[in-house]
Amino acid sequence: MKMLKRSLEMVRPQFEKGGLLHKAYPLFEATENFFFGPSSRAAVAPFARDPLDLKRLMSMVIVALLPVVALAVYFFGLRVLAVILVSYAVGGVVEVVFAILRKEEINEGFLVTGLLFPLILPPGLPLWMVAVGVAFGVLVGKELFGGTGRNVFNPALVGRIFLALSYPAAMARDSWIKPAAEFPGRLLEYASVQTVDAVTSATPLGAARQGEMADLWSLLWGNVAGSIGETSALAIIAGGLLLIISRVASWRIVVGVLGSFLATEALLYMALGQSIPGPAWQLMAGGILFGAFFMATDPVTSPATSGGKWAYAVIIGVSTVLIRHLTGYVEGVMFAILLGNIAAPLLDAMALNLRLRRLANEG
Amino acid sequence: MKFRGGYSIAMAGCPAAEVEVAAMPRRLLLPLRTPTLYFSQLHVTDGQHVARGQVLARDAALHGVPLLAPCSGMVEIEALPGHLVLTSLHRCGIDDRHGLASDEPALAVDEPLHISREYGSSGMLRYKLLSLGAWQYMRDSLSGLVAAPFDVPQAVIVSVLNTEPFVARGDVQLSVDTPLAAKPGGVHHNMLTHFTRGLEHLQSLLEYQPIYLVLPKGSSQLGEQVREAVRGYAFIKTVEIPQKYPLDNFAVLARALGLKLRGQAAVWGLRTEGVLAVDRALTVAQPVDRRLVAIGGPAVLEPRHVSLLPGYPLRELLKGRVDESRGPVRIISGGLLTGRAVGQWPLQGQDSEVGLDSETSGLTLVYEQKEREFLSFMRPGGDRRSYSRCFLSALRRPPPEGLTTGLRGERRACVTCGYCEELCPSGLMPHMIHKLLFQQELEEAARLRLDLCISCGLCSYVCPSKIELAEEFRRAREAFEEEQRAEQELKAGEAAE
Repeated sequence: MKMLKRSLEMVRPQFEKGGLLHKAYPLFEATENFFFGPSSRAAVAPFARDPLDLKRLMSMVIVALLPVVALAVYFFGLRVLAVILVSYAVGGVVEVVFAILRKEEINEGFLVTGLLFPLILPPGLPLWMVAVGVAFGVLVGKELFGGTGRNVFNPALVGRIFLALSYPAAMARDSWIKPAAEFPGRLLEYASVQTVDAVTSATPLGAARQGEMADLWSLLWGNVAGSIGETSALAIIAGGLLLIISRVASWRIVVGVLGSFLATEALLYMALGQSIPGPAWQLMAGGILFGAFFMATDPVTSPATSGGKWAYAVIIGVSTVLIRHLTGYVEGVMFAILLGNIAAPLLDAMALNLRLRRLANEG
Repeated sequence: MKFRGGYSIAMAGCPAAEVEVAAMPRRLLLPLRTPTLYFSQLHVTDGQHVARGQVLARDAALHGVPLLAPCSGMVEIEALPGHLVLTSLHRCGIDDRHGLASDEPALAVDEPLHISREYGSSGMLRYKLLSLGAWQYMRDSLSGLVAAPFDVPQAVIVSVLNTEPFVARGDVQLSVDTPLAAKPGGVHHNMLTHFTRGLEHLQSLLEYQPIYLVLPKGSSQLGEQVREAVRGYAFIKTVEIPQKYPLDNFAVLARALGLKLRGQAAVWGLRTEGVLAVDRALTVAQPVDRRLVAIGGPAVLEPRHVSLLPGYPLRELLKGRVDESRGPVRIISGGLLTGRAVGQWPLQGQDSEVGLDSETSGLTLVYEQKEREFLSFMRPGGDRRSYSRCFLSALRRPPPEGLTTGLRGERRACVTCGYCEELCPSGLMPHMIHKLLFQQELEEAARLRLDLCISCGLCSYVCPSKIELAEEFRRAREAFEEEQRAEQELKAGEAAE
């Protein structure tokens, strides 16, 4: 630790004004602040502050995603790690370049985006597509809006939608990998589309349209085909609960999305005379759980007011069902969350007016 | 009563209930500026001998609130910038453990005819309070400034709570048996009598306006004893509130009581020391000279309450009380969240000679942030008390934290986590106001009721992006008020033409 401090001090002049690498100062600063907590003091009241900072907040999301990542590696093999690595590397480069261009600090937000993005991709997707997707998502979804905190859309979703529209075959049909069935899974296997024996197997939602139903236990445990992080309901719920308990994610959004999703599914189930799988099965299949816990709860792109949050959550829950059953797409969470992101500012404005009307009678 | 937000910060160094009487200093340094007063009008000359209770200066802009001599002595005007220095102090009342009231002659207060003619007997009582320095405690709940003495308020709120860490608490003020002697172990019967008599005096200032007495919710010795003491007082309405910062703020209380503050008669607010001061002034015609000051915070060796005279030199007061082992210590006059920094221990240069002003009810001492912690954000944080539950401390309740002045994070853009909104006692949305102010939309921010902000500081405290919300809002409010004033003047000017 002392050595680290000393070596940081040694290279510091290079990054400071007049130094050779002055332009890359944000990179130095980020490295230093990663290893050593800041020493800045509160200059104005209050004279002490809560220990939570953005680094910790973002780290909590990463910790919450660890069970999901672990099970993904188990089911789909070590290639998952390669996908995550590519996503972090390319996303990180974009973030650093923009921090340098904007002369701002490197923001921790990309640590979350860089991990969320690979988890919503099919496991067999070519690595160069992962790179293109994350670059597009971070660049267009976030940096062009001004960086973390100022973006309108969830950057990971922007990247995924870009890929889905540009390479529909690779994103839907060609890249699903059949999950490992028996212990020890693919923990020691680099399973790509070329090497795995059962290359493609439709996702549960796709198969259900053909009348094949995955059983509920597989959906819960996760040994079904699907995006890297969406298959195991168990891991998602475990991580998601951690986010809610630690107050990082808004419980209103999660309850709202899942509640409205279940209600609408139940209505449709009864209206269609039970010809579609029931609400519980629908909840476990596809990306609704992952979307509700990890994507919709992004504080930046969801509404700020609690009234707005409820409305936003219902929009996502209901439109996911509608897209799943009434359009050509088998999965609708992605578009539903994007729809919610679009509506968020409007919902906030409406909730705000209500709040102001209440406050007007006070004070 | 319905409250929003609020949060109690668990900081180490809560002052014990015991009261220590500070030794008589060699000289008193009376600041001419306090957080809300400026004694600009001097009533003494250099070298003049003054008696205890004599007017030294007045705040000409604020109802002529006087600065009284806490003790007889000789005035030095030029000795210290911004202060009146009192030397050759007479050892008044320091060794006198039997109370001041009986031994000392009542101060004669002149009775201006026009006041009694204009405002009647209640006006005379108020004038007496003003002259004896007791009116200083009566606050307008909207502005936090000293209330206008001859107004008719719509209600008076009396609070025995003081939730900010750390200022002198009501239960301690009621536990001393005279203003001088310490007596730990619950509310003292004697003081309780003073308190209830103060409330009676308070009622004689009013016509039919209610007095709300604010007590802590749940069973507490303080609550029970005070409730018992005021039983049968029809003019007092007791209300119970949770002991959460800053729910004892008068503006918050007034709103929770459904009292309108804007465009209506004022709501006055008074704390325990104020009621005791009223009693002292109107029962025995004595000025309030001693103050109870809480000295607390992680950097205090023995956190406790100290009884002292205003103008007590800070250096003498803190000598031997500060833990110097962890480097410099920030001295905050008042509480952690709303106080102001008055210097750094060890005191040096300009700060080295300052006196406690007559409004100080607490000194909070916090270590300055020095060390950079290795991999700070990855630590489990079993000892870090946070509003969020992102640390191990969420699983077990660790003891109050030894806070430092560190920001504990880098400044970042707002991510709309919503913590500020959850804690705001005024029901505002600080994150939204912040974004509007960032875009220079002052009018829009005012539409979000920036005027309801009470500057409690919780939003700044909890913000994970370390944005100085409270400071930003304070500045914006000033700018907006300035703008409105200019507008009104312009209109008035046009009307005159």
